[in-house]
Amino acid sequence: MHRENRHKSVLVIGGGIAGIQASLDLANMGFKVYLVEKSPSIGGRMAQLDKTFPTNDCAMCILAPKMIEASSHPNIELLTYSEIEKVSGEIGKFTVKIKKKASFVDWNKCTGCGLCLEGCPVIIPNEFDQGIGKRKAIYMLFPQAVPRKCVIDKREERPCKAACMDACPVHTNVPGYIKLIAEGQFKEAYKLIRETNPLPASVGRVCYAPCQEACNRGQLDEPLCICDLKRVPADQWNIEELEVPVVAETDKKVAIVGSGPAGLAAANDLALRGHEVTIFEALPEPGGMLRVGIPEYRLPKEILRQEIDYIQKLGVEIKTGVQVGKDITLEKLKKDYDAIFVAIGAHGGMKLGVEGEDIPGVMEGIGFLRATSLGEKVDVGKKVAVIGGGNTAIDCARTAKRLGAKEVTIVYRRSRTEMPASEEEVTAAETEGIKIEFLTTPSRFSTGNKKLAKMECVRMKLGEPDASGRPRPIPIRGSEFTVPVDTVIAALGQVPETDFAKKLGVSLSKRGTIEIDVRTGGTNVERVFAGGDVVTGPAFVIDAIAAGKKAARSIHQYLNGQPLEGEEPGKEPEKFSQAEIEDRKRRFPPRNKVEMREGPVKKRVQDFREVALGYSLEEALEEASRCLAGQIEGCIECHECERRCEPEAIVYTMKDETIALKVGAIILASGLGLYDISSLTEYGYGKIKNVITAMEFERLTAASGPTMGALKRPSDGKLPVNIAFIQCVGSRDFRNKTYCSSVCCMHATKEAMLAFEHHPGTKSTIFYMDMRAVGKRFQEYVARAKKDYNATYIRARPGRIEVNAENDNPIIWYEETTSGEIRSFEAELVVLAQAMVPQITQDLAEILGIELDENGFVEVPDKLLQPLDTTRLGIFACGYVHSPRDIPDSVTQASGAAGRTAEAIAGGK
Amino acid sequence: MNLEDIIKETKTYYCLECGKCTAVCPVSRYNSNFSPRFMLERALMGFGDELIHDRELFSCLACYACSKLCPSDVDYPVFTQKVRNLASGEGEHGDCAHSGTLHTLMRLMSRSDIKQRRLDWLDGCRTSEKSEVLYFVGCAPYFQPVFEDIEVNPVNIARNSIKVLNALGIEPMVLPNERCCGHDLLWTGDVETFKKLAQFNAQMIKESGAKKLVFSCPEGYRTFKIDYPRYVELDCELMHITELLAQNLSTLSLRAKRSNPEVKLVTYQDPCRLGRHLGIYEPPREIIKAIPGIKLVEMEHSGDDSICCGTSAWTNCSSYSKEIRVERLSEAKATGAELMITACPKCQIHFKCTMADKGAEKGSDIKMEVMDLVNVVANAIDI
Repeated sequence: MHRENRHKSVLVIGGGIAGIQASLDLANMGFKVYLVEKSPSIGGRMAQLDKTFPTNDCAMCILAPKMIEASSHPNIELLTYSEIEKVSGEIGKFTVKIKKKASFVDWNKCTGCGLCLEGCPVIIPNEFDQGIGKRKAIYMLFPQAVPRKCVIDKREERPCKAACMDACPVHTNVPGYIKLIAEGQFKEAYKLIRETNPLPASVGRVCYAPCQEACNRGQLDEPLCICDLKRVPADQWNIEELEVPVVAETDKKVAIVGSGPAGLAAANDLALRGHEVTIFEALPEPGGMLRVGIPEYRLPKEILRQEIDYIQKLGVEIKTGVQVGKDITLEKLKKDYDAIFVAIGAHGGMKLGVEGEDIPGVMEGIGFLRATSLGEKVDVGKKVAVIGGGNTAIDCARTAKRLGAKEVTIVYRRSRTEMPASEEEVTAAETEGIKIEFLTTPSRFSTGNKKLAKMECVRMKLGEPDASGRPRPIPIRGSEFTVPVDTVIAALGQVPETDFAKKLGVSLSKRGTIEIDVRTGGTNVERVFAGGDVVTGPAFVIDAIAAGKKAARSIHQYLNGQPLEGEEPGKEPEKFSQAEIEDRKRRFPPRNKVEMREGPVKKRVQDFREVALGYSLEEALEEASRCLAGQIEGCIECHECERRCEPEAIVYTMKDETIALKVGAIILASGLGLYDISSLTEYGYGKIKNVITAMEFERLTAASGPTMGALKRPSDGKLPVNIAFIQCVGSRDFRNKTYCSSVCCMHATKEAMLAFEHHPGTKSTIFYMDMRAVGKRFQEYVARAKKDYNATYIRARPGRIEVNAENDNPIIWYEETTSGEIRSFEAELVVLAQAMVPQITQDLAEILGIELDENGFVEVPDKLLQPLDTTRLGIFACGYVHSPRDIPDSVTQASGAAGRTAEAIAGGK
Repeated sequence: MNLEDIIKETKTYYCLECGKCTAVCPVSRYNSNFSPRFMLERALMGFGDELIHDRELFSCLACYACSKLCPSDVDYPVFTQKVRNLASGEGEHGDCAHSGTLHTLMRLMSRSDIKQRRLDWLDGCRTSEKSEVLYFVGCAPYFQPVFEDIEVNPVNIARNSIKVLNALGIEPMVLPNERCCGHDLLWTGDVETFKKLAQFNAQMIKESGAKKLVFSCPEGYRTFKIDYPRYVELDCELMHITELLAQNLSTLSLRAKRSNPEVKLVTYQDPCRLGRHLGIYEPPREIIKAIPGIKLVEMEHSGDDSICCGTSAWTNCSSYSKEIRVERLSEAKATGAELMITACPKCQIHFKCTMADKGAEKGSDIKMEVMDLVNVVANAIDI
């Protein structure tokens, strides 16, 4: 064929040192080179090595400049994370179809910064470290990766819709933290929750958990106990060990009025951005409703204190006992601070509007709970009636019981169906012996002996819906009755006390709540923001936290002089379709939730001990393992990487792409694979802990490896000072690989030297068949090992490795062939020189249309005169896939193959 | 045939002199005069004469621990067998234990005119004149008087084998003039006598019309399966009794002995001929696991890593053989088991012999109950 018509381009398959060398040679000659590599980065096996023989140079130091040269060469196009699908045509005119695998990361945007890696909750054994180290589902192959990009190891679709995240007001990464709990990574789980919620242990006891309502597993059997799981990290790990990050300080000051969840969340986020935050709290203790509204038996104050403490460690100052509007004015704050966040909640009680409600003994619910939690003495008498039907009423009733009341009755004007209190609370109250009188309302209180003695009630019936949408209760004439009481607690609802804000001109609603721009949290007064119950009226803790975070975001933008961007609304939680339910039920057998154990009733009502006992470690792991998202291997699409990626490079919807290339010739340089030696059971690999492979040893001594270069043996992490190397494991073996793998004699010698360098005096014993030191200065290298590096060579092929149960030392049995004696040798670590195999599948050989020999190496048409050709014209081979050889020989062959290739396509135009 | 021919035929020239064989050889472990590698080396280096006249030529147990992992795929036992044949031509026979009684008995059986009275022990067993199944008895009746004093009852194994077959609904044939399978003679170099025994057996079995042969002795089984086809034609299915039992566990409704409510720990000695020679490791274990009242605990070296009982073909039995057995019995003891189950009558004989030896050497005071698996099954199903 006329050479002019041959494409002046080459496909090089395999980005190891041979592929890189061939690419550079050809590119420098002026040909266009496509370098295809199936892993995310070029570098190949050499990148895994610590040092190379015979110079003992650092492998990466030699390799990296070549990798950079290849990636920046104008004639070389790197196609990593790609595979060959089809090869058609003939020499000079090949068409190659290449599949570029979806990395789910847009490499045009990814900067290789690695921030994504920290948040990923999926932990996987790292193949690059031969399974010794771990990586995440999103990962970079190794620190010096070329191209320096991340890929996401997504193997299957997540089996659920992660409706939990969408339902959560702060979009906590629920699948992420549950996965971390399932992996026993409690500190990481706590930190992950803290990204969106600064009070994990507290909220994990009281949240109303809209996530659980939405949980897709609930459509199969029972929803995950997400709330109960949220407190697990704090139960299993000491949160007081959480480190305080170093943050650059700004010169801005923010005042926050109110230290409830909204104020604390805003303070947390603003402090993490470097602003100076001061919280003004009217009560003597911080925490807001968490501290004075929710009783100790639901949320122990010690837990809340620890979490508030951490926020203070971030630099936030909380001034308690200072009431804004009385002790200090809002105007003064506006003068002294750059921004203000009003989050005083809704602590004002509502009056009953019933005759006799001023009699001592009739108290307001919020005040009652506050007094109790601040340690004041409250006398509840023996017969207590609690008026109301919300969680506050239940809290008052259960608290009254614990303060010694004999009989506690809740009086509610509607029926159980309309009762706003949560089911768990109502059940808990009834279990504790508290009665509930439905469809009843007090009409009058009266005294006896100058004290509160009687409560007159009237029965109600349900009529048409009122303003709240619930049926209006209508008194039934003639149904009045009287009951004896000595204490009445009215828990009818809360209102915010916002008079002090009027002076500044802050716009208030008819109910007294502060009006804000819902997107930003800003009020009509510049510099003043608001959020939480003071804006919405009584709501839930997590809503207040969401409001605090929103305000912090806006305040930060305001302080930076940026326009205030509201948050984008999240999407609605999705449900499974019927077909999806059937499919998931087939795939995942039904498992009931793990119930939270509670203290025995009789004991627990005697004091304020926490009722929920918390999951044990086993219970936590069991419940966490029910999460559908975590059922798969690989990425669970929790979006944590997406959240942290500033260039916004994450693309979950990426698909594989197929491209077609036209090339004139192809060079196969796919390198070496490692033979699986667990079939040689006599060596105990996989069973005896301290028997490892040579490549695992390289990863241990390599400075960027899983132990950062510390030579630690697997069983106990001890430094081994007596190491045995066994050669020809799987090589020169009719039962496994008949051929000699060529490099092991030298690499074992090298590893003996490295071990000595790590710890001078280390003794290495190498059990060999022959010492194959066939290169330039190789024999001298071996001699040096004996002379300077305490290496001993014993000619024997051990028959069996046993283990010393006391210290996990492997014991090698061998025949010392020069004397004929059977001996045993105890070492602290045994390194097996595993056989190496050509890294090419039969499938790829068929795609390329080339033949392989009986050992899988490339079949060469004429060993003498055409050693680098394959059986297909136009395709050449070099490196280990061609035949067993070391790095210098592979590089030599690569240049040879480049020469052959150039010869094939050069010429003409 | 000379030594060069043997080397070529067995391809032992591939030997790399690596010593892996010797490192795992149970004999080499104690007997420093024996090394499979060294034996081969002498053959390859031209010291054939020395090799043939070396007493240690007859020390190999043919247990296959070596060849199982030889990287050069050398079949050392077959090499040994052939060299022993050569050696026997030069008057070398190894030392047959028990004053040569047992080999003499085997040779006697190779006479065409021998009439044996060998089935008196059949009481309680149901056999048939014509059946598809033939139970090959082996030398049990002859071992009985020789080893009764150490409480081995080989005839019990034979009897219980037939009773267990009966429990499966099989009434097998037995040959009234059965000959020794010839295993021991083949492995000590007497191929000629072996051939004769093989021919007699093949003839009688053909005449019986049997379709399936059942063995309780692994050596007989191995010999029929692997060695006979070279010399005779036999068109039968061959099975070890443990294979048959493992296929019929549900039929055998195993009940625990009433007097044994506690679970007894037991261990299992893989016979070389059943295990490494024929690859049968699981069926005996399945049977043991199916028997209620006993729990299997494996020795440190088990399955294809098992250690031989220390003597083969009654030849070169020595203090080294005893050391092998003492270590193996120690391994059995270390599992905590009270009973060692085997599936080979010879294993039982050898272990019991060592335990009965009241010599003063270290470890010969080990006591371990040893029983054949067939007897254990027979006890469990109360027959």
